[in-house]
Amino acid sequence: MTPTTSAVPILELRGITKSYGTVTACDAVDLRVDAGEIHGLLGENGAGKSSLMKVLLGLVRRDTGTVLVRGESVALDSPQEAAELGIGMVHQHFSLINGLTVWENVALGDTGKVNKQAICSDIAEVCARYGLPIDPEAQVGSLSAGERQRVEVVKCLRRDPQILILDEPTSVLTQAESQELFGVLGRVVQEEGRAVILISHKLAEIAQATDRVTVLRKGRVAFRAATAETTPQLLAQQMVGRDVSLGEEGAALGLLPVQKARTGQAGDRDRQQPVLRLAGLTVEQGGVRVLEDVDLTVGAGEIVALYGVEGNGQATLGEILAGLLPPTAGTVEVAGSTVDVTRPGALAKAGLGIVPEDRHHSGVVLDMSVAENLTMKSLDKVSGRFLLRRGVMRAEARRLADEFNIVTSSLDAPVRSLSGGNQQRVVLARELSGDTRVLVAAQPTHGLDVGAIEDMYSRLRKAAAEGVGVLLISTEFEEVMALATWIAVISSGRITGVLPVSEATSERLGMLVGGEAA
Amino acid sequence: MSAASLSAPDELGRRLLDRLRPGSDSRMTAGLTVVLVAVSLGASALLLMLTGASPSASLSAIWTGSLANTTGWTTTLLNVAPLLLVAVGACICSSAGTFNIGQEGQVLVGGLAGAWVGLRLAMPGPMLIVVVLIAAAVGGGAWAALSALMLRFRGVNVPVSTLLMTFLAIQLVTFAVSTPWGLQESTQGSSGIADAQSNPLPVNAQLAGFGQYPSLQLNTGLFIALVAAVGVALVLSRSRWGFRVRMVGLNPLTAKHAGVRVGALGGFTLALSGAFAGLAGGLLLASPVSTNRLQAGLSDNVGWDGLLVALVARNRPLVAIPVAFVFAVLRAGGDFLSATGVPSYLVDIVKALLVLAFVAPPVLVDLFRGRRGAMPSTAPAVSVVPTETKAAA
Repeated sequence: MTPTTSAVPILELRGITKSYGTVTACDAVDLRVDAGEIHGLLGENGAGKSSLMKVLLGLVRRDTGTVLVRGESVALDSPQEAAELGIGMVHQHFSLINGLTVWENVALGDTGKVNKQAICSDIAEVCARYGLPIDPEAQVGSLSAGERQRVEVVKCLRRDPQILILDEPTSVLTQAESQELFGVLGRVVQEEGRAVILISHKLAEIAQATDRVTVLRKGRVAFRAATAETTPQLLAQQMVGRDVSLGEEGAALGLLPVQKARTGQAGDRDRQQPVLRLAGLTVEQGGVRVLEDVDLTVGAGEIVALYGVEGNGQATLGEILAGLLPPTAGTVEVAGSTVDVTRPGALAKAGLGIVPEDRHHSGVVLDMSVAENLTMKSLDKVSGRFLLRRGVMRAEARRLADEFNIVTSSLDAPVRSLSGGNQQRVVLARELSGDTRVLVAAQPTHGLDVGAIEDMYSRLRKAAAEGVGVLLISTEFEEVMALATWIAVISSGRITGVLPVSEATSERLGMLVGGEAA
Repeated sequence: MSAASLSAPDELGRRLLDRLRPGSDSRMTAGLTVVLVAVSLGASALLLMLTGASPSASLSAIWTGSLANTTGWTTTLLNVAPLLLVAVGACICSSAGTFNIGQEGQVLVGGLAGAWVGLRLAMPGPMLIVVVLIAAAVGGGAWAALSALMLRFRGVNVPVSTLLMTFLAIQLVTFAVSTPWGLQESTQGSSGIADAQSNPLPVNAQLAGFGQYPSLQLNTGLFIALVAAVGVALVLSRSRWGFRVRMVGLNPLTAKHAGVRVGALGGFTLALSGAFAGLAGGLLLASPVSTNRLQAGLSDNVGWDGLLVALVARNRPLVAIPVAFVFAVLRAGGDFLSATGVPSYLVDIVKALLVLAFVAPPVLVDLFRGRRGAMPSTAPAVSVVPTETKAAA
């Protein structure tokens, strides 16, 4: 797979700059993509990858810079124009409508009369050409995440794009499904001379699938090279902007191989008193079993990971444990006693803390101050019967902010003004304060930069060392391997297996994730 | 439905309220407000000229009617009290993310309850006025609580239900004052004609003035309203209960996670805001601003105006005090103006234009900048393209 360097690149960006208010998302970015190559676009969250692609899709207008398609300068004022130029994108989060069938979803955005036969035969043709079997009559809502991704790809390919952009396409796919996707992409570029831009923050994926790679850092191009001539370490260093060791940070970046967590306590599991026991948790939503009979125990001082591909019931489990959603059936036991999860605050009182998957959603109140956010779960401590005690509140907040290295201009500043990593620390500090016996961390490193990820890892380890039982809900293979002593795998709302980390391999976990016994 | 329990209980109200929070970008908002106020004043002057009135004469009429002499001040200050009470109530439930827009009806039902108690309960001495005001508050609160129950059990939008309940309230009061066995006034002498209004409240059910000033009357109602505004401001910012209310208003899911009974608290604040509106109705009935009789026109838009006061004050009770004063000036001056022959609806138009000038700027600033939330106001570190993180939810 050597990149063919033709005289005129199929796509060239010169000096693209895009600012939102005072923030420059893209700063004079140059990018050159040739026909017949898969071009990796690598960068941390907030590095400007998505903004750049939005410019390319005509979703936002660039401030300055030139876009050349096959050597000709184009305006790109609207998504329609981008589509006519043959630029298509498969978004990170599906833009499919669950209530419609596959062919209806594929037809969305077409103009003129809808001709079901023509569309279905189009789909069949695309499916056959790329080996992506899909039933055009199936309801999208009933498809698995991998099948939906396939629909997105088919929908995009049917429009016959010359330049195909995929934004973090594997975040919801199993390893087998990812392989299949990359196989298709390889065929698309090699046999048909199209170009693919693959956006990712996973180094392993970039190294495996791309021909050339461009690394963005803080809105600027930090590095570009042919993938074959670079190493994951070098890419990681360019992406983060400093040296990266292969241990902790490597896991954070999706580098292989990983150091496995110590397995010391894994053996004597049965003798411990579990601090968290989920028994037969079942949730039915609209006739669909989102969670089915989930049993899981976490002992004091151990980190148990719940591993699986996004969208297999983890979010629902997180909502139950945050006290936001009562389960249809089953019980939650914290430190030996059953908790009535329908009572607000009951889980917190029992000693369960949770770092929710989306901190803005249910973790913090963005417009309240850091001090208020740090103490909102322990109002008894910082108030009398009626009035708040501001002094006590500040002292308590100061203590937590110091302990957890929360960087803020003032304790009275709104949490909104903090960086993502510091917001996450606010949540973690609050949830670990008081008499916490169990900590549930749902995707705790999503959207954090590498420094913040390292910090989160060491804090989770420290919590476990102090005797807190930690349940880590994660979709990152490297993360669970680096942190957990036990790994439970969830697939379609069911636990398909629990194994100690010493017995876990990517193959075994992969099979469990796919719903097969291993 | 489990899905419904996850989202905020009253999406519509919350989305409306979201737009009315104290703005994120204050300088641009302030500048735009000044411009829009100027524009609305200009438009008002133009309207006056189009109807043949002189803007300067109108302005001086408003001045004469409201602030030029002690009579004007008396009228203005009498108007401040009910407006402020309604606004303070609106601040409470808006802080909890519940958007009550049915104050007009709650004022009327409060007046009805107060009149019923005041006329039927033959109590001697000053206790009667206390009972009248309490009854008015309970009446308004109960009326709003009906909307809270509709939300709780049938999922009815609060803005919609409170609004529609207003029209029901008008019918209810009209019925009460035109039914002989209800509250209709006793027939006058031999003619046998009774109007659609109640008898006046007995004197011991009327609010007295406080202090002795030459020709200026300060009514106790003003004192009650000011105490309520300061008290509510303190409770919201300093008390444990206020902390929870603000939490529910800003992020109900986090509040629920932190152990707040979100639905119950939201419903309670709605009832409380109704109680303040009801109390305002009681004041209208018992203070010299009205004829001390219950009529379907008793509320005279005080509920709507009070809501507008809260909107302009952006749900801050202390800011509501000066805003309520400005609105009271417009009410008092407007009455005087219409006596000079200028159509009174023009005053309403001026008022509406001013409210728009104050409420619109933050929304417009957001529009200029793309959608709200498209950029975190100060913290780009969250994510440069937050749609990504949002969609992840």
